[in-house]
Amino acid sequence: MTATWAILEKDLRLLWRQRTGWVSAGAFAAMTVITFSFAFDLATADVRPLLPGVLWVTFLFAGVIASSHSFSEEQEQGTFDALLLAPAPRSALYAGKALANLVGLLAIEAFVLVLGSVLFNVPLLVPRLLLVTVVGTVGYVGLATLLSTLGAVRSRAVLLPVLTLPLLVPLLIAAVRATGEALSGAPDGAPWLLLLAVFSFWSAVGAALLFPLVVEQ
Amino acid sequence: MSWLVGQASRIYAFRWVTLPPLVGVGMFALIAASLVVAPRESVEGEVQRVFYIHFPSALTAYGALFVVFVSSIALLWTKDMRWDAIARAAAGVGVLFTAFTLGTGAIWGRPTWGVYWTWDARLTSTLILLLLYGGYLLARNLADPTDEQAARYGAVFAIFAFADIPVINMSVRWWRTLHPQPMVVGSDGPAMPLEMVAVMMIGLVGVGLLATWLIVLRSETELLGVRTQALRARLDRRMGV
Amino acid sequence: MTAGSIIVTPASPSPVVVVEGLSRRYGSVTALDDVGFEVPAGARVALLGANGAGKSTLLATLCTLAPPRVGRVTIAGHDVARAGGEVRRRIGVLAHQPMVYEDLTSLENLRFFARLYGLLDANARIEELLRAVGLWRRRDEPARVLSRGYHQRLAMARALVHQPSVLLLDEPETGLDTDALTLLDDLMLRAAGITVLAATHRRDRVDDWSTGVLVLERGRIIEDSVSPPTPAAPRALAGAHA
Repeated sequence: MTATWAILEKDLRLLWRQRTGWVSAGAFAAMTVITFSFAFDLATADVRPLLPGVLWVTFLFAGVIASSHSFSEEQEQGTFDALLLAPAPRSALYAGKALANLVGLLAIEAFVLVLGSVLFNVPLLVPRLLLVTVVGTVGYVGLATLLSTLGAVRSRAVLLPVLTLPLLVPLLIAAVRATGEALSGAPDGAPWLLLLAVFSFWSAVGAALLFPLVVEQ
Repeated sequence: MSWLVGQASRIYAFRWVTLPPLVGVGMFALIAASLVVAPRESVEGEVQRVFYIHFPSALTAYGALFVVFVSSIALLWTKDMRWDAIARAAAGVGVLFTAFTLGTGAIWGRPTWGVYWTWDARLTSTLILLLLYGGYLLARNLADPTDEQAARYGAVFAIFAFADIPVINMSVRWWRTLHPQPMVVGSDGPAMPLEMVAVMMIGLVGVGLLATWLIVLRSETELLGVRTQALRARLDRRMGV
Repeated sequence: MTAGSIIVTPASPSPVVVVEGLSRRYGSVTALDDVGFEVPAGARVALLGANGAGKSTLLATLCTLAPPRVGRVTIAGHDVARAGGEVRRRIGVLAHQPMVYEDLTSLENLRFFARLYGLLDANARIEELLRAVGLWRRRDEPARVLSRGYHQRLAMARALVHQPSVLLLDEPETGLDTDALTLLDDLMLRAAGITVLAATHRRDRVDDWSTGVLVLERGRIIEDSVSPPTPAAPRALAGAHA
């Protein structure tokens, strides 16, 4: 566990020092939201039906950028091997990396939610929506952290979205529906938040278990 | 366990003798049965005969993807790269039959539903399946087939992908709740006449054999490719290149 | 405790690193071919060989990054494949890449690695190491402003922060200036009691610090002045299994 916290603290420190990488992911997210608002004319019509989709697509793309950045960084400096040389179980290393990515992505998402609230005049910072966002992001980061490990090694970061996004279809559907529920206040007819929670839990656990196998040479 | 493996390898030794004629007979039987034996469907007409290849293709695709899943686990467990060859071969066949399912479905859908494609739950989840394993194949083909780390990465992805299938199906069904249930087996027994069920069974056996044959061929080709590369490298070394 | 800097080699030193029948193939390339040797405690071994002879693969196996499929490797009695954590606790690794974070300072780097190894109160150790490699005064500068030589000095401190009993070096001299090289030699000599296994192509410097050499060629050991003569092997085997 010490190793997990050590990596988390180190990554957060680096996250702050290397603001440019994360700021560009945040800027990308902001640009996506604004582009969507032009494309769908979100400023004029009632945005609530479209907003969940806009938000989650933005989150997913920002997450791809963020998670591939986190491992390519370690690769370039050779520090990934240094992490693997630690006596701690490798699942603990994975947990540290995943938690750091989670914090980073949640920060970007918070920024997007604030931006969205202002741009679309819809209160997005409501408890239920925040809950959906956190639960969905856990599952997303859990998978993306695992899949970006070798994506970075093989310098095929391009493939990351191709592999990740189809896996995330259930998460995307559930997250969008749950977000819609949270925005409109009307139940949707299916236990989306539960599905989201189960999916997130299993992807995080599965990724932590399989990570040691992926990094072995 | 070892007895089982022994039996399996004994059966496998006869693959070149038994499989091709079996596949031939199965395919011929499928064509004959679906075109001649099966009765004309009263509502949809002749086009319904597509079903006898459509449905077996879908099931076979799932079967092939199950093979990918099992051999991926075996690869992670044993670290024997031969499992990777099988996984890649089965994934290729799985993608092929998934595409075939979508294609025959579109042919069937146009006259009966009036559209080639609709965002029905079943269609959507099949499309996602195609994307998932298409991505897997793409990633595996970009990597060196002898790269063990890339193979393990692929295996991890394949395990996640297979585990994802039921969740995808469930979420997509909830997403599109309005569409009809499969018509093959309703809640109150089979809705089809017995001849149709019989022909469908022939289709299942025929297409299943074809897929098995393709997986065997393809995985052995992959293995031979890897061996060729090894031999060439050894030759190069001996020649002092 | 009582002995000074001179290490008296015991009559039959127990091997710290034991490699038996290790083979490794990467696809069509045979990187290691039935490699076997033993390194007694406190020995300083130079691992020699041309590029592609298998030095890096051997070191990757020893440091648990590439656990063996064929053969057996134990370090301090722990199997590399089965007790990787125990092995990693005991080894320090220095490679041609410094493996430090460019945007962290020297002090932060060492603090991070100390915590990664589960050392909670390592401040004294870190200060001692930073002074030894000459980085104490520059401890608050980020690693990216350090020269190549100082990077490697920081890496040396990183490799030693958890007080390993075995030091594995993979061509650490790449791109080092003379000062840093001297420091490196110094470090290896001073690391009394630490077993050193260092891959290098600089045969000229080897005599300064090594107690024996292993030469690899095309994945095979062709020269071994380290392992005890063959009669000793069964005893060592029995010890390893106990």
